[in-house]
Parts: sequence; structure tokens; C-alpha cells
Amino acid sequence: MDANGLLALSSALVLGIAALGGALAQGNAAAAALEGIARNPEASGKLFVPMIIGLALIESLVIYAFVIAFLLQGKI
Amino acid sequence: MKLFASLLMTLPSLAFAAGGFTWTSGIASALHLPEHVVLFGFVSVLFILVGLLYRLKTADVSAALVPDSKFTFRNLFEFVGEFVYGLTRNIMGDKMAKEYFPLIVMLFMFILMSNVLGLIPGFLPPTDNFNTTLALGLFVFIYYNWHGIRVQGLVGHIKHFMGPAWYLAPLMLIIELISHGVRPISLGLRLKGNMEGDHLVLTIFSDLVPYLVPIPFYVIGLFVCFMQAFVFTLLTIVYISLACEVHDHEHHD
Repeated sequence: MDANGLLALSSALVLGIAALGGALAQGNAAAAALEGIARNPEASGKLFVPMIIGLALIESLVIYAFVIAFLLQGKI
Repeated sequence: MKLFASLLMTLPSLAFAAGGFTWTSGIASALHLPEHVVLFGFVSVLFILVGLLYRLKTADVSAALVPDSKFTFRNLFEFVGEFVYGLTRNIMGDKMAKEYFPLIVMLFMFILMSNVLGLIPGFLPPTDNFNTTLALGLFVFIYYNWHGIRVQGLVGHIKHFMGPAWYLAPLMLIIELISHGVRPISLGLRLKGNMEGDHLVLTIFSDLVPYLVPIPFYVIGLFVCFMQAFVFTLLTIVYISLACEVHDHEHHD
């Protein structure tokens, strides 16, 4: 396998692995928030903002990986 | 007229060279500017016009007290404003919300307009370029640090970086410095990455099946546009309120 093949493989793997981790973490966060809302529906307004902040911070890691994938792709 | 003709002449060739048609590529090449700068200027002009229009509609203060009964431009504008103000007040409290609301609502509306512009065929969102979003992120970074120093004093602002106890200070200082330094970059990258990724998905699916199939992705795109403007604004509010909060240490143990 030559360098270009490795680059292509790694740029795909970067995003795949990052999306896996991000999806697991975001699933946990959303599940916890939904559970909280199901137990106490009146708290949905208060839960919404912290949940979105948490999701955004988790997502930013996946976005970093997305950028790295783009950088790797540019080198092919 | 000659400029207009030359613009029309250059449009198709540029579109093929760039791999996709955009309305502004001719203007961008005529002005020797990158395309996202032209689009950013376009959104700015649009933003100023919308603001002036709203100002004209509410010029008569006594008449403006009563909102319009139907769904109008003014109602839409006030709905967005109230939504952002409610969000700001929830996080910051009444007093601070009044102070920082103008910047926050400006950021929200501006980013929302830039994002939604990308959903119109033949337009790219100016926010899918890292240069634009890093500028916005750096602006927020400078703004909240400046106001932190203004409200708390330089010493008070630096105390924020020191953590809760003095023996943790050397460790906390490094962690906090890194976390603050990364903030503008992560704000910029998040916005840029989301918009670019969203646009890419839309492009790929419209290339695969040009009819009907892209419609759900337009809906998701609209949601992502709103969500990213919302997240950017929310994080700005949180950063400002973290930097400018006045702590009362007597109530803590």
C-alpha cells in the first residue's frame, strides 16, 4: 500500500472513529436529558440549555476530526 | 453596462472552473476578493437594510407599543429578539442581559442569516469558511475578556484562572489558559465544520438524485442552520456571563 492509500484510509478512519465516539457520548447525554424530562416534564425548559451546551461541546470534538480528515484528504 | 456584460461573460466559465455555479463568483472575481468575503459583505448589507426597515416601522413609539395582529415582518423580527432575550436572561439574569443583549442578538441574527443564505441554490454560506468563523470567534474572545477586565478589574479577571483553592492555582492556571485559548478556535471550527458538512451532504444527495430526495436534507439543513447560530450565541452568552459574573465569596464555604 502506498502513501496515498494510507492517507485515504486514515482520513476515512478518522471521521468514522470520531463519529462513533461522538455518537455514543451524545446518545448518553440526550438519553439522560430525556429521562430527566420524562420524570419531571416541567423541567424541560431548564434541561434544554445545558443539554445543548453539552451536545455542542461533544460535537466540537467530532468537528475537529472532520477538519483533520479534510486536511488529510488535501494531501492525497 | 460593460462591467455587467463582462460579469455575465465570466460567470459560466468560472462556474465550471470552480466545480459549481454560484451567483456571486462573477462579482468576486471582478473585485479580486475571495467569495466568502463578498458573501459576508452581502449579508452585512442585507442585515443593515433589515435593521433600517425595522427601525422605520417602529419610528412612531406610541404606535409601536401595540404589536401587529397578523404575521408580519415586524412580528418575525420581534419573535427572534424576544427568543434571544429570554435565553440571555435565563443564563445571565436581568441586569446583565440588558447590558450584553445587543451584541448577542446581533451575532445570532447575523449567523442565522449567513447560514440560511447557504440553503438558497447558487449561494454558499459565508460561515462555511474558517476565516469568517475564526473572525467571529476572535471577536467574541476579545469582547468577553475585555468586559471581564472592565467589570472585575485585571486582578479579579486573572483570579478566574486560578481555581477555587490557592494550592490548585498552578495546575488550574495551565488548564484554564488552554481552555480559554481554544475557545475562539473551537467556536470557529464548530460553526465552519457544521455548515460545510451540512452543505456537503446536501450537495452529494442532490448529485445522486436531483429530484425529491434532497428535500429532507434541506429540512435538516434548516435545522442545522438554526442550531449552529443558537449554539454559537449560547456559548457566547455563557462565556460572557462566566467572565463578568460578580462572585460573592461570603456565601460559599
